[in-house]
Amino acid sequence: MGSILRKRANYFVDIHSNTMHSVIMLEKELIAASTEPLILSLLSNGESYGYALIQEVKRLSEDKIEWTDGMLYPVLHRMEARGWIKSRWGKSENGRKRKYYSIKKDGHKVLKEKREQWSAISSVLTNLWKEQYV
Amino acid sequence: MFDLEKAIAEWRQQMVAAGLKKGEALDELESHLREDIAQQIQAGLTTQRAFEVAVERIGGAQALKSEFAKVGRRTGFLGMLKGVLMGTRGPERASLFAFTPDAQRSLEQARAEAPRLNHDFIGTEHVLLGLLNLQSGIVPNVMRRLGVESATVRAEIEKVIGPGVPAKRVAAEIPYTPRATRALVLAAREAEMLRQRQVNPEHIFLGLIKEGTGVAGVVLRNLGVDINRARDEIVKEMNLRKSAG
Repeated sequence: MGSILRKRANYFVDIHSNTMHSVIMLEKELIAASTEPLILSLLSNGESYGYALIQEVKRLSEDKIEWTDGMLYPVLHRMEARGWIKSRWGKSENGRKRKYYSIKKDGHKVLKEKREQWSAISSVLTNLWKEQYV
Repeated sequence: MFDLEKAIAEWRQQMVAAGLKKGEALDELESHLREDIAQQIQAGLTTQRAFEVAVERIGGAQALKSEFAKVGRRTGFLGMLKGVLMGTRGPERASLFAFTPDAQRSLEQARAEAPRLNHDFIGTEHVLLGLLNLQSGIVPNVMRRLGVESATVRAEIEKVIGPGVPAKRVAAEIPYTPRATRALVLAAREAEMLRQRQVNPEHIFLGLIKEGTGVAGVVLRNLGVDINRARDEIVKEMNLRKSAG
């Protein structure tokens, strides 16, 4: 598996499964599935806004996850409509209009659920690979 | 000389022309665009190049429009209920949001009661049993006060419709009857009318009563329950709890 992980491919993907372009099928689905947990996790650290969320994901993933910038916003709006997050208009340091998002109680619940799911998958794979490669 | 303000205004017009609605979403996208442009300029790009890069990165108007259009689509109570009732997701996976945990438990109980009675459908009577099986909470308490226990209800159901033949379906595939479906839809309406975000067991009970024609109603009446009184007591307790906390 080392070879896959070492490959620093730069997938250019939209967030949504039906409008995504990527080199490997699985990658785009993984990234689509991980968008909401990523946003919830980042917002659980405190209020943030679209541009900063995108930059943060790029940085943390070492540019492996790159969203089409605009596509983040429909996702944020959908999450807001579901009551997971809320938003408010504010001002940036230099006076620009900026919309800030923060996580709500239901969002924490969803995050906990998603976290359990991702951890379960991750631990199964880790165990499998451990057995195979020992 | 490149005029950034003019370029942004034109970009907005293109977005609107493609069908993206003016207003908050577009304002937010513009705010993002400006943020990105500022960053690019700081990184050493010319204003014009920074604008081009930012526009490219934010994505095409068509794709954005179709994604934004999906947001408004209603996936509230009724959408989630549909998934539950069609059996595509068990009520336990229904959604964190459509039902309170107690309500979810009562629906799990309803699904468990059907095969116990050899029924391969979930009717209003099973939903009623599911509520009583919660043991505690407003519905079981009120029903107990009115002399209704799950054992007596189960016996009465058997009297009214009789036990079925052993079910062929596994529990997870048992469908709801049209009346039970209607009762749950009415329960969701109750929750909406009371401006509550989740359907709780009391809403389900009120839905059952409103539906009225199902076996649950017949069983309750046979057991001598005054339906109006039952409803009044439930509503009264709901109000008490609301004012208490």
